[in-house]
Amino acid sequence: MIEDLAKNLVELKNEFAKSYDGKSQIQEVIPKSTSSLFPIAEPHLESLHQFATKNPIYYNYFEKKIGSVDCVVYEGDINRYWLNSIQHGSSKAPFSPTWIMSGYVVTLFAKHLGFSEVIDIGSGDGRIAFCAKILDMESFSIEIDDMLVDLQKLLNKTIDFHPHCSDAATFDYNSLNLKHPIFFIGGLAQMGGNALAEDVLQKIHSISHLKANAGWVFAGTFSQKYAPDPKNEAGWGSLIEEHNLKSIQTISLPTAWTFHETESTPYIFSQSI
Amino acid sequence: MASAEDISQMFHSEYLKLQNLINTANSKTDMNIHEIIETYYQIMNVSSMATMLKQQTKSNELLDRIRETEKLISEQFDSIIHPKIMANLTASIQEMTRALQSGNSTEKSKEKIESDAKLFEELRQKMSTKEFVDQYEIGISHD
Repeated sequence: MIEDLAKNLVELKNEFAKSYDGKSQIQEVIPKSTSSLFPIAEPHLESLHQFATKNPIYYNYFEKKIGSVDCVVYEGDINRYWLNSIQHGSSKAPFSPTWIMSGYVVTLFAKHLGFSEVIDIGSGDGRIAFCAKILDMESFSIEIDDMLVDLQKLLNKTIDFHPHCSDAATFDYNSLNLKHPIFFIGGLAQMGGNALAEDVLQKIHSISHLKANAGWVFAGTFSQKYAPDPKNEAGWGSLIEEHNLKSIQTISLPTAWTFHETESTPYIFSQSI
Repeated sequence: MASAEDISQMFHSEYLKLQNLINTANSKTDMNIHEIIETYYQIMNVSSMATMLKQQTKSNELLDRIRETEKLISEQFDSIIHPKIMANLTASIQEMTRALQSGNSTEKSKEKIESDAKLFEELRQKMSTKEFVDQYEIGISHD
């Protein structure tokens, strides 16, 4: 069912990309209501729309029928966050969000796999942690960029996804009392994600009860713009092997950075062998 | 297989292209990104040819041309044009960054956001051009 939801979302994105003639830097869609293609609980959909309408990165929205699905299109701009992140130089990867709907699907899958806590590393505006929370999972959002954490605090008013302004490489994960967590690593392997994942994996694997218990989700790419990994897994194969992880499943979903591309972003779910 | 004369002519033709680009660069106060990239590529192209031909040729005429070329690159490009390009790019990036940051505090219309997005794109291009130029700087400082 979750795989079908992901497939339908990719098809919706492809249909939307063909007809979109706006000029916004980023754009995404959320179905207006539940349907056979998107059987999502209405309160969840309502929360996803609220996240977009309250989020200052989106400056315009309008309704549009895409294929057979009534949707709301959100148009946004993240340039000022990019400018802030490069000024500080502390961020390993520039902010570029996944789609809100994709955040919902990946956290839905994390819940389906039995994980109880989501930790969104390099969380941008906190959308993955937000989605986990509306699915009744515990969630924590860790972001080094203060401007993005301020943005998260704006979006955190009704649903608390615990934004932390911190360097994920030095963060004290023991303080979260994690039991069965899954970590989402922000950034492609080739865009600073690998270094970030290395740091966090080392920290988590030093906590004995979490080493065998934790799940990991990596955003990959098959784009020829990036050097492939000799062990594949959309750029993450070597890291997965070196840290004794095994890939459980890969789900492809739309993201801001693949909007103009034919391939979506593969999310690789993995856990310890 | 190309004759020694063919190779010498090919090198001379590339040298003339480079000389034109250097003359253009000297005559301009601010080069656009396309001109910058084209000039650096030609510098690298001619430098690589010179390195390779120096090891292979016994022709004094070609060796003289290679020396002339290296002198042009060192005295004109490395000492004058390259530092000017670096300084212009740095100043332009700083100026654009300041301008874009100062406009962040106000509420913007959809049209203004979308026209500013073009300036952000231009800034990104200038920054990646500067990274490319910085790599050349690292190369000449190791020579």
